[in-house]
Amino acid sequence: MDNSEIELRICHMYPDLLNLYGDRGNVLSLIRRASLRGIKVKMVPVSIGDDFDEKDFDIVFLGGGQDAEQNVIRKDFVEVKGPKVQSAIENGMVFLCICGGYQMLGKYYQEHDGTKIDCLGAIDVYTVGEDVRYIQDTIYEADFLKEEGVKDSGMLYGFENHSGRTYLGPSVKPMAKVIEGAGNNGKDGFEGAIFNNVYCTYSHGSFLPKNPRMTDHLIRLALKRRYGEGYELPKLDTESEDFARAALLRYKEKGNTAP
Amino acid sequence: MASLRYHFAILSAKATKLALRVLGRGATTLPGKVAVKIDPKLLSKLCEGRDCVTITGTNGKTTTTHMITDIFRNCGYTVVTNVSGANLLSGVTTSMIFGLKDMKKAKKEGKKVICVLETDEAAYGKIACQIRPKVSVVTNLFRDQLDRFGELAHTRELIAKGLDTCEADILLNSDDSLVSELFKGREGRTIFYGLSEESMHYNNVTYPDKSGVLPASSDAEYCTGCKTKYTYTARSFGHLGAFACEKCGKKRQDPRFFVKYDLAKNPSDEGYELSLCDSGNAEVREKRVKLPIPGMHNFYNSISAVAACVRMGEKIGDKEGLSFEKCASALEHVEAAFGRMEKISIGDKKICVLLVKNPVGLDRALSFVAGASDAEGIYMLLNSNIADGKDVSWIWDVDFESKEFPEKVYVSGDRYGDMMLRIVYSGVDRSRIVAKPMEECAELLDQAIQASTPGKCLYILPNYTSMLALRSILVKRYHLKDFWK
Repeated sequence: MDNSEIELRICHMYPDLLNLYGDRGNVLSLIRRASLRGIKVKMVPVSIGDDFDEKDFDIVFLGGGQDAEQNVIRKDFVEVKGPKVQSAIENGMVFLCICGGYQMLGKYYQEHDGTKIDCLGAIDVYTVGEDVRYIQDTIYEADFLKEEGVKDSGMLYGFENHSGRTYLGPSVKPMAKVIEGAGNNGKDGFEGAIFNNVYCTYSHGSFLPKNPRMTDHLIRLALKRRYGEGYELPKLDTESEDFARAALLRYKEKGNTAP
Repeated sequence: MASLRYHFAILSAKATKLALRVLGRGATTLPGKVAVKIDPKLLSKLCEGRDCVTITGTNGKTTTTHMITDIFRNCGYTVVTNVSGANLLSGVTTSMIFGLKDMKKAKKEGKKVICVLETDEAAYGKIACQIRPKVSVVTNLFRDQLDRFGELAHTRELIAKGLDTCEADILLNSDDSLVSELFKGREGRTIFYGLSEESMHYNNVTYPDKSGVLPASSDAEYCTGCKTKYTYTARSFGHLGAFACEKCGKKRQDPRFFVKYDLAKNPSDEGYELSLCDSGNAEVREKRVKLPIPGMHNFYNSISAVAACVRMGEKIGDKEGLSFEKCASALEHVEAAFGRMEKISIGDKKICVLLVKNPVGLDRALSFVAGASDAEGIYMLLNSNIADGKDVSWIWDVDFESKEFPEKVYVSGDRYGDMMLRIVYSGVDRSRIVAKPMEECAELLDQAIQASTPGKCLYILPNYTSMLALRSILVKRYHLKDFWK
């Protein structure tokens, strides 16, 4: 198939409100790694009051926001767009959700004082807020990204910053194993969630730029879903990204090295 | 009579300073820290009966403090002020203790004294009651090291708390919806400053900010009261502009002090001309000045500095000595603080350091460099020490995509990989970028300076701790006098 006929339609949900900790970089990554392959990219911001129709998109990005911002969107997301988002998820639409977006897809968020805030309930997870915030560099290992002979291909690098502890129900798989960091809840050694084609994580960093195989995985899933299982994503090098990954590992080993 | 405790605290601070000097270390905060341990009310005592101005907010604190200081000095005042960065209780106290000598001298000479104090926005809530400023400037609120400061709404609460523990006249940025809201309940003592609406960048046809693939992450697109999206008739940068909420009617207030500038001219040019205006009298006063420190964000710093000085003059009965015209003219003699756009000559080469600590600061710096006609190289340094914030993901919040990069690009800092990737993802070819780890940042600086052409400028954009490292490199390797202390 000629890639100039291929199109990737990205829905960036609430970019004017959920745009914390560089999550914008995730959308840039999807755009970049698709465009470099000659794929036509369409990016549509969908915010409060805008219509969300799953027919218009191949992939949805939902980030996190400050409390004030998340309170602004909650009603629109849960009550107005909620049923449509839920059916898109059931139909296998590809989603990437980070931090607040991850929590909002779940069943509820329990605040420190015990108050439960209803969330969408599209995936079987719930979150409990606690006092201690996890703020650190993270390394995870994701089996589905491992490529034979490619060292470090399954590793995901990120930065976490959350006080919520998320617990997964039986229908949801964790996205990765925690190598460094706290992950979902600091207890079970897992990070993130996968349900159908929905990928959730606490990783900022930004997440996708330093994890190009994850970016490619999402693009591939989205395009196979649209153009059929036979669609092959063209090869694209990961040289710059690998340089950044190596630099990060070096930093982790040596610490701060101001002369 | 001051108490024994007070004198002992002062004495301890002086002893601490002496000890630090013997050790060859700077003494900008530790003496105050020691002194406050002995006398917790020390700052309050030091500020008793003084005429203080405080400057707080996310960006522009140091430059504005610098400008206010220079204006007062040019108008014949003795000024006590804090060293940039030393803006917590310990640093402010240190500055006041070591300012005592100058204050005594001024008294002898019959000169008036003003204390110009930069205060950290998160610390303001606790120290404003001790300083009891007569005038308090709030610059702006932007996302900044959220892992350290927490959410913006919280920072604003802390500033509000500080404002309510003193009786200062409050100078607020009219174009910042988050800041201007602080006037509620404090109407009688609030004065606004800003850009005139027709001067805002959004309207600019000659030097428009190009829009990139994605808009930069913004902080305040929605009304904090009724959660409706603001409409803007004009914008300067970030969320600053002529905002209005169609639902609840909240909107930008007309500022008393404002800047007018020629949209057809490039604000990155040196000696850039603009008009400062004061509409506080029967007729609007206007003064044309050459801005010594270029860049559009410095329009805000300039007008707030002039406003603070004029207001102080009105409060302390020196309307003549601190007239609008005098203050505005004095601004022309202000020099940049280190890391704030100062051009430094190294042989026949030139460098310019622009400290960048948060998304909007980086956005402004990149936009400035993109507009600078002498920009030949750019050297970006990104560290992630605690003072910088451990999290470097904020570099992705900035719209690099719309900014043109100079021909030569250098990258260092502990997070050189992250910064290199950020630049590559904005569309700059990997082969144009030289990226080296922090240990090699000095050699890379040599290389970058050597490669630059006389007459052109190498723009260096470090974040906080990488700037400190850079400063000591410049002193050691290039024998620049460390006159920034």
